[in-house]
Amino acid sequence: MIEARGLSKRYGDFVAVDDVTFKVGSGEVVGFLGPNGAGKTTTMRMLTGFLPPTDGTALIAGHDVFGEAQAARRAVGYLPETPPLYPEMDVQGYLKYVATIQDVPRSERAPAIDRAVERCGLGEVRRRLIGALSKGFRQRVGLAGAIVHTPPVLILDEPTVGLDPIQIQEIRSLIKELGGVGDHAVILSTHILAEVEAICDRVILIHRGRKVEDAPLADLTAGGRKLEELFARETSRDVAAPEAPAQAEGSA
Amino acid sequence: MKRVYTVAARELSSLFVSPVAYVVLTLYTLLAGFFFLLGVVSFVETLRQAQAYQAFDFLQQMNLNDALITPFLGSMSVVLIFVVPGITMGLFSSEKANGTDELLLTSPLTVWDIVLGKYLAAAVFVLLLGVLLAFFPGMLFLYGDPEVGKTAAGVLGIVLTGLAYAGIGCFASSVTRSQMIAFIFAFVILLMLLIMGAVAELGAMGNAAWLEGFLGYLSVGEHFENLALGLVDTVDVSYFFVVIAISLLLTKAAVESVRWR
Repeated sequence: MIEARGLSKRYGDFVAVDDVTFKVGSGEVVGFLGPNGAGKTTTMRMLTGFLPPTDGTALIAGHDVFGEAQAARRAVGYLPETPPLYPEMDVQGYLKYVATIQDVPRSERAPAIDRAVERCGLGEVRRRLIGALSKGFRQRVGLAGAIVHTPPVLILDEPTVGLDPIQIQEIRSLIKELGGVGDHAVILSTHILAEVEAICDRVILIHRGRKVEDAPLADLTAGGRKLEELFARETSRDVAAPEAPAQAEGSA
Repeated sequence: MKRVYTVAARELSSLFVSPVAYVVLTLYTLLAGFFFLLGVVSFVETLRQAQAYQAFDFLQQMNLNDALITPFLGSMSVVLIFVVPGITMGLFSSEKANGTDELLLTSPLTVWDIVLGKYLAAAVFVLLLGVLLAFFPGMLFLYGDPEVGKTAAGVLGIVLTGLAYAGIGCFASSVTRSQMIAFIFAFVILLMLLIMGAVAELGAMGNAAWLEGFLGYLSVGEHFENLALGLVDTVDVSYFFVVIAISLLLTKAAVESVRWR
């Protein structure tokens, strides 16, 4: 459903993303892992067509993100790092607007909005202004906006950042449900390892713009191995003292 | 076209839930009332003096259009240079500040849908300003007999000027994420366009007649004046559409530029 072929993004001499290739099939929930500044957001922006890659192509549901932009975009639900919300609109109005610009036919809009509201637990705030909502609710409104047109592909950029533990739980189970029940292909970026262990089937680890690991979670954690160790090992390779972070994380 | 309408409808409803629209409308009508009152008072005064001096030739020529409506509309066209940027400043800049540009640019909307939708919202607002303004000269029809055609041409001039300013305001808003900068940028461009004609007339360009003509053509004031005098000419009317078209092309380029970086 999601396919990145040799995606690269360079800003002058700075290489943000370097030749990243991977595929995500339907029903899969993939954790896109990496330290801050690894190129996660840039990669996701290229997958959604917000940024054009310097090299390589991205395909969504078989459509080239730039060649067949309309078809590809209709198939994606995207939650950027800061949820794209209009503070002066109420939740209902916002979701209606998003459904309209996402080409949900008029007759299907109301049920689509009801479904998104119910799934994201927004019933009690439906008529409230987005600007007056707590951060957790805003995140959920953003997620509702990403799924309102029932896209087969979901791209979520740090969906749980800044939420309290209970909200994190709720969002995680929601994402898991979307991946399992529907045949969504979900890719979510995070730097929280516990999150990956909780909801993902597969892990793609990137560091300094390069893909350094791509394997099912079960393989990575087989034999009692810890994701922390892998993360520390892979992300400290070209740092002077590789053993230091490994020890710090390993005892945790 | 439906998508353009969707974008425009959201934009308008946002304008009217924020205080901006009401502040702009209130100030505009307040200023209109002030200038109108000033015009009426000085009209009456001129009339009284002309009668006192028994200047019958002058009295014969004096009419509501030339002595009151045209100068009034002229003042209001100047007021537009800070009213219109007030409406357009948030059109694109606030999307960037909210992060909603990512929503729009990853949706099936095309860049033209977005640009035209936002411009349409600003244009509707300008029309509203035009309607409000028309009430003032409209009142004169109750008490006197101004020329309908000339008055309508003047109001058309105001609306076209506002529409052109809205295009420039859109562009100013599309190059920044700060509403304040968008406002100031638009204001400066509009002020320059307004005084361009004066610069040309002062002969600041030496003997370069073509340059003087060119600057004169660029000047909004020149074209507005003709309309305010009741001369509806294709050269003047097309000027406003050229300004709108250029502004919107530049706006589209600026919105897309996020993808070039």
